[in-house]
Amino acid sequence: MNSSMINESSASTTLRDNAEVAEALGRSYAAGFVTEIEMTGLPPGLGEETVRQISAIKQEPEWMTEWRLEAYRHWLTMPKPDWAKLNIDPIDYQAISYYAAPKAGPKSLAEVDPALLETYEKLGIPLHERAALAGVAVDAVFDSVSVGTTFRKQLAEAGVLFCSMSEAIREYPEIVRKYLGSVVPTGDNFFAALNSAVFSDGSFVFIPKGVRCPMELSTYFRINAQNTGQFERTLIVAEEGSHVSYLEGCTAPKRDENQLHAAVVELVALEKAQIKYSTVQNWYPGDENGVGGIYNFVTKRGDCRGDDSKISWTQVETGSAITWKYPSVVLRGDRSVGEFYSVALTHHYQQADTGTKMIHLGKYTKSKIVAKGISAGRSSNSYRGLVKMEKGAEGARNYTQCDSLLIGKKCGAHTFPYMEVKNPTAIVEHEATTSKISDDQMFYCRSRGISEEDAVSMIVDGFCKQVFRELPMEFAVEAKKLLEVSLEGAVG
Amino acid sequence: MSQSAPLPLVESLLDVPLPASGIAWLDAARHENRAAFAAAGLPDTRVEAWKYTALRALGQRRFTHGDDGAALRAVAASTFALPGVDGPRLVFVNGVFRADLSALDALPAGLTLQPLSQALHDDPEPLRFVLSRPALIGDAREVGDAFTRINAASAADGVMLRVAAGVKVAAPVQLVFVGAAADVELAWHLRNVIELGEGADLSLIEQHVSDAEPAQLATVVSDIELHEGAQLHHAVVQNVAIATSLIRRSSVRLHARAHAMLHALELGGALVRHDLRAELVGDGACFDTRGVFMPHGRQHIDTQLAIRHQALNTRSTSTWRGVANDRARGVFRGAIVVAPGADGSDASLSNKNLLLSPGAEIDTKPELEIYADEVKAAHGATVGQLDERSLFYLRSRGIPLAEARALLTAAFCRAVLDDLPNEALREHLSGLLVAQLPA
Repeated sequence: MNSSMINESSASTTLRDNAEVAEALGRSYAAGFVTEIEMTGLPPGLGEETVRQISAIKQEPEWMTEWRLEAYRHWLTMPKPDWAKLNIDPIDYQAISYYAAPKAGPKSLAEVDPALLETYEKLGIPLHERAALAGVAVDAVFDSVSVGTTFRKQLAEAGVLFCSMSEAIREYPEIVRKYLGSVVPTGDNFFAALNSAVFSDGSFVFIPKGVRCPMELSTYFRINAQNTGQFERTLIVAEEGSHVSYLEGCTAPKRDENQLHAAVVELVALEKAQIKYSTVQNWYPGDENGVGGIYNFVTKRGDCRGDDSKISWTQVETGSAITWKYPSVVLRGDRSVGEFYSVALTHHYQQADTGTKMIHLGKYTKSKIVAKGISAGRSSNSYRGLVKMEKGAEGARNYTQCDSLLIGKKCGAHTFPYMEVKNPTAIVEHEATTSKISDDQMFYCRSRGISEEDAVSMIVDGFCKQVFRELPMEFAVEAKKLLEVSLEGAVG
Repeated sequence: MSQSAPLPLVESLLDVPLPASGIAWLDAARHENRAAFAAAGLPDTRVEAWKYTALRALGQRRFTHGDDGAALRAVAASTFALPGVDGPRLVFVNGVFRADLSALDALPAGLTLQPLSQALHDDPEPLRFVLSRPALIGDAREVGDAFTRINAASAADGVMLRVAAGVKVAAPVQLVFVGAAADVELAWHLRNVIELGEGADLSLIEQHVSDAEPAQLATVVSDIELHEGAQLHHAVVQNVAIATSLIRRSSVRLHARAHAMLHALELGGALVRHDLRAELVGDGACFDTRGVFMPHGRQHIDTQLAIRHQALNTRSTSTWRGVANDRARGVFRGAIVVAPGADGSDASLSNKNLLLSPGAEIDTKPELEIYADEVKAAHGATVGQLDERSLFYLRSRGIPLAEARALLTAAFCRAVLDDLPNEALREHLSGLLVAQLPA
């Protein structure tokens, strides 16, 4: 991106910001509209037949069907986990439809239903020319299927494979078979097992040896249909010496019932490879009385399989009624690096139990965790993390910083870090603080004519800066605006 | 967690007649607790509170309850002699009160110090509230209460200590729990009740010691209540033999402006677990803990600290150090809860650990649970090694490596003793620390 573009976009951001303050008074969740579009799908219900049907619709090979069935059978034996600090209404897995797709099956981007493209336009996703401007290649997942992947050709020239998971299973079965489930096994946990059985689509990225992916890759997930769950599966494989930055965004319409989102993301970094994975999660959080909203139960894990590899997670979590996710890194290769940068904001009755796991196996591995939690309203926001230094983690190093900001008297902010150290040369450090926006800071801003709401968003922005810095620029702007909108009405 | 077949330990702990007190409510409570223990069995590592302390090995052992010969066991006075401590003393050997070893003559006015059994015999009613329940403080959901239950069922005696309102006890009171060698592997249980009236002031030394052989299992449950403005200095020296397993639960309840300061040395034992819980229920209450755990060999020392701020302007500070050597394991949990409405709470906790050997392990879990916004809360935890530069500094001044290491490790641990007011005791305890250091 050249410098004039950056100037232009930051100028327009300021203009838009002013308009948005006025606009924000009348809105809370901008992505809450429903797209009227003809859908096809499976009726609600879950059984081996459902799993076979999904596999059949996807025209999957036999081994994939078996893989799913095995996961399903294992899932049936698993108890529902209850260790997180969350109050979850019981989920009726038979009331969910496990597959929904726009009726007109898209064959290429040009054939995608205009109503759908309009949806993405409303959401500000750069498909088509807008994609070219932003320089981002997008794979958009609408309910259960991937509706279009932009920039296929340019990426293909570089040797990068970027397509929907269904396509990857058909076209690159040997790669998928080799890596799928190798980071998050089918029976890893309750929701990962469910996902393995019924996942309908997702993104697949393969960066061959020595290639630096020429552009940011991106997926946009949207739940549109009622009574559906979204179960996407993302697999990113970075071969030796390659490099990729991947962005993910999520929205859903406003509905009164809770919808389930149980995704699995697997990252594999081979020797000297680097993967940067950024998420802006803005699923519908429910209304101010805690009605509706998405249950976001996600398993994300990266495997630094090769020496000198690096995996970095950055997440901004503002949406979902309940968030339950721990993007993790297994530091297997010597000198591999894991990073986790997170901002989690909860408001109204939202609940978040999120954090990370850094499992150090290799020598001189390093990990860094920066987690910022902001709780407002009657919400509950927990950081839960594990740093584990195994016996072989000679000279390994971890630094963790968790800060919580409380806005209001009825919310909760919690920190549950676990540190397990078995190597006497490893160093683990953890620091956490909890505080509110200080009266001094507020007084300073107010005395300079800054409105209360602006002052709060300014202070919050400063509190999160360390994490926002890690986001690609477009996402950083979006994340900042998201926080402002999400915090609206939190003060005064 | 229920087990399919009862573990040998559970069987052996249940295979004893309950102590008969002749007090209906007490006997009922004992029966109830015994039934609850029998039904639940021992917690396994899937129970969060026991995640890092496996009871598998201990669960396979059998212990004989009570020691008939306890009254005659020879215990040298040097076992519990401490410099700077020469006051009233209550001594228990293998769970049995020993008047001959205790010093209960000429107790200062306002101080009640006697065996619990004696207090129950004289007037049980004031103890009804505290003894009717397994523990005064604790989360009902925690299955980890197994040992509290078996203690409540089986403990026939313990310490009854009461300081009347406004009384300042000058000399430190010493509580000594001795495990003395017997012909069999013994299990014994003690239940302590300690109460400081309004504005009372007490300095308390709690000692745990035992003979090297044979193995023993002891449980000690203490309820400590500090009324308005009471002050308690509490020092705990746990230095039992390497074959003794010791499981303790101390619940401290602090009313308005009460202040408790605890210093703890966790040095000995095979499997040692201490659940230390504090509830700050009165405005302006204050709870400070300083502690060090130094497991070596194959020791396992687990400290579970939980502090609950429930009133306005309460304060807690916690400084804990851990040093694990050989194949030992040190476990620490430091949980701070600030309840809704507990504005003005100020809580800080630090747990620093040294890992000295490739076979050793440290598991630490500082936690914050905050439900109020006018709060200052911070915690920090580290696991690492001695600072290379400090080592270099000492070596460049001609101090050999081993000595430099010992010096720095001692300094690292000694920090927790800095604000112990009794100077003679402080020096003695820091000597104990140094003695425990690897050669």
